[in-house]
Amino acid sequence: MKDFKRYIVPLLSLSICAVLLSGGWLFWQNQKKLSPKTDQFVQDREALGRLLQNSSEIHRLWLEGEDSREWALEKAACLKHYKVTKAFDESLLRCNPILIQCHALFDKKLNYRLVPSENPENKDKWYRYLSKSNSNHVKLTSGGYLFSIEDNLSHKRLDLLLSDSCQEVYLEKRAYAYGEALTGKESLETEDYRFDNFGQNIYIDRHLVTNAEVNEWIDFGNPDFTKGLTKKEADELFLPATHLLYKQMENYCSFKGRQLLMAHYADAATFLPMDLSEVLPAKNIRSPYYWTKKRSEFKADCNLIYAEECLAQKAFQLNSTSPSWAGIMDSMGGVFEAFRNPIDPESNLKASSFYFDFKSPWHRLGFRAGWDGEGFDLRHFDFRGINPKLTVEKFQVGFRCMRESK
Amino acid sequence: MKHVLLVIILILASCTPFNQKSVKATEAEVKIYNEWLYAYKLNDLKIDSSIITRPPGIEQLLFSLLLPTVGGLNLKTHCVYYRVPYKQITGLLKIEEQKSIGECPPLSKGKVWLQLDGLRDLSLKLENFQLSLNFNYQNQKIGWKFLLPNLEGGLAHQKYQPPTEKKLYPGMTLLKISEDSFDPESNVYLGKLSDRMARGSAIRCMQLDKSCQQVGEDRCDECRYGWYQVVDYNCPQGGSRFCGQNHCGEKNEPACVRGTKLFEGDDTGICQSDLTAVMNADHILVCQ
Repeated sequence: MKDFKRYIVPLLSLSICAVLLSGGWLFWQNQKKLSPKTDQFVQDREALGRLLQNSSEIHRLWLEGEDSREWALEKAACLKHYKVTKAFDESLLRCNPILIQCHALFDKKLNYRLVPSENPENKDKWYRYLSKSNSNHVKLTSGGYLFSIEDNLSHKRLDLLLSDSCQEVYLEKRAYAYGEALTGKESLETEDYRFDNFGQNIYIDRHLVTNAEVNEWIDFGNPDFTKGLTKKEADELFLPATHLLYKQMENYCSFKGRQLLMAHYADAATFLPMDLSEVLPAKNIRSPYYWTKKRSEFKADCNLIYAEECLAQKAFQLNSTSPSWAGIMDSMGGVFEAFRNPIDPESNLKASSFYFDFKSPWHRLGFRAGWDGEGFDLRHFDFRGINPKLTVEKFQVGFRCMRESK
Repeated sequence: MKHVLLVIILILASCTPFNQKSVKATEAEVKIYNEWLYAYKLNDLKIDSSIITRPPGIEQLLFSLLLPTVGGLNLKTHCVYYRVPYKQITGLLKIEEQKSIGECPPLSKGKVWLQLDGLRDLSLKLENFQLSLNFNYQNQKIGWKFLLPNLEGGLAHQKYQPPTEKKLYPGMTLLKISEDSFDPESNVYLGKLSDRMARGSAIRCMQLDKSCQQVGEDRCDECRYGWYQVVDYNCPQGGSRFCGQNHCGEKNEPACVRGTKLFEGDDTGICQSDLTAVMNADHILVCQ
């Protein structure tokens, strides 16, 4: 008992030490187990925050396009990368994946990267075109460009779909008229072909479909419908696609969930209304020129009609002329434009183009030639006897799409 | 000396549960955010930003969320429940997952997707497409903020302006992509490129009756190649709709819409100049 009393203090001290050590060891083990897990969740949350911040920046850049500071900084490198040497309308960079890819390529300070396409054929593309025709993802409202962004630190990814609808114009709800305004005796005998779009939300492509956009169809569309089409590069990227047959034009628009622009809606978007505040006028009086209400105010101006004479003054580019009242570009001059005409199917071509000089009667809104849609040499066109003076091996025929929305 | 050692042990012991607490809350936050980030709709949120105190001790449905499944191949629902703490009953946040679109029952009864026990003083707020959950969890004030960029706020209609989408980032959607998202064999969208009314293959995605009421569901958003209107009952909101490539005006195809304010009867359709607009048995104006 005496011995026990003598050893009680060291024994107690040893026990406390043992408890302390084992407690410490357990705590340390626990910490080892918990810390990485805690860190991981904190890091995941931070990564998500960064990805969302970057998504918001990409969204801004998508909408700002050529007006962004990023384009000002990266323009030279971007154009060099895509081998673009000629001037083009830089407003085409709005809602354009080329700008987003260039930004990811040339801004070295970014804390994310765009994940390249897994398809070896499209390795150079850091995005893909997504529509209801090539994806099963639910709730796709309209087509758009899919970017997969990866956070550099965590390698966490986020998939963004950016809609390409900012290159569309909205057709105001009002009464319109189809075709040229009738004059003289004819105007007394025949009524105008009028229509309205109340109850319809119609959107029309602001510009003709570009080669870059057709490249997306070739890359991401159903190959059965793009057979025989070749991709265009470099300076041709921002030029209108003029090598598609009529059926291919229809199918391209369908790929995007849209329709080939109908002739009467093209008229609606180009004939300047006499009174914008009067949506149901008794008559649709209209001038043959989109910039004026006066029939007599024709101007031989390359900024209004890119006619044959303009080829010697400045190289043709998309959106070379002023917009129409509704905002659509190239409504006169430039390349031919094909429409689907449900009223007179044989009048489906805007012939006002650089194939005709300023004096040509083709430079009138609503006055159309015919195209059988199956080829590009003269025998496929009906110019109503007003043929071009130039010898052209292959005429260039552009097109644009439209859609109706709820 | 003994007292010092005991104090150290006590400190060490109290540290362990503290760590476990924060892991659980952070883990829950990250798990939730990774899912809710893609939410398209938030339904039944009736609660204002004040602390939820009633009914004490009983579970209630806070809100539900419509979310995409992996690969975006389908839609699912998250039902979010909360039990207000009362005496010995702890506060409980419970999320259940339904593998379909549907209403959430007032009380939880399905498979628990996530559960956080022991919270109190919960308040909710939805502002500028951000859902905030503030609560007290084991003596810590916690604030969760979830941005919901896919949340649809409907369309904004302004005079002389096209309808615009109300969203955090209009025109941008976060997708839940996987390899299966691109499998052409399992495309769920409606219609083929070759569908035509003349061939009897066109899919009607929205139907109106003679009193201009919609019959059944509007499925036009599911059309694979877009949709177009036809002329039927001259309703102010337009006509019934079909999926696919528009060939209106052509032989045996529907007449194109000529509008609702200028003309009446057969004149409300557009047909090629050599065809006539005729009402078919389904009361659709077709060109013959």
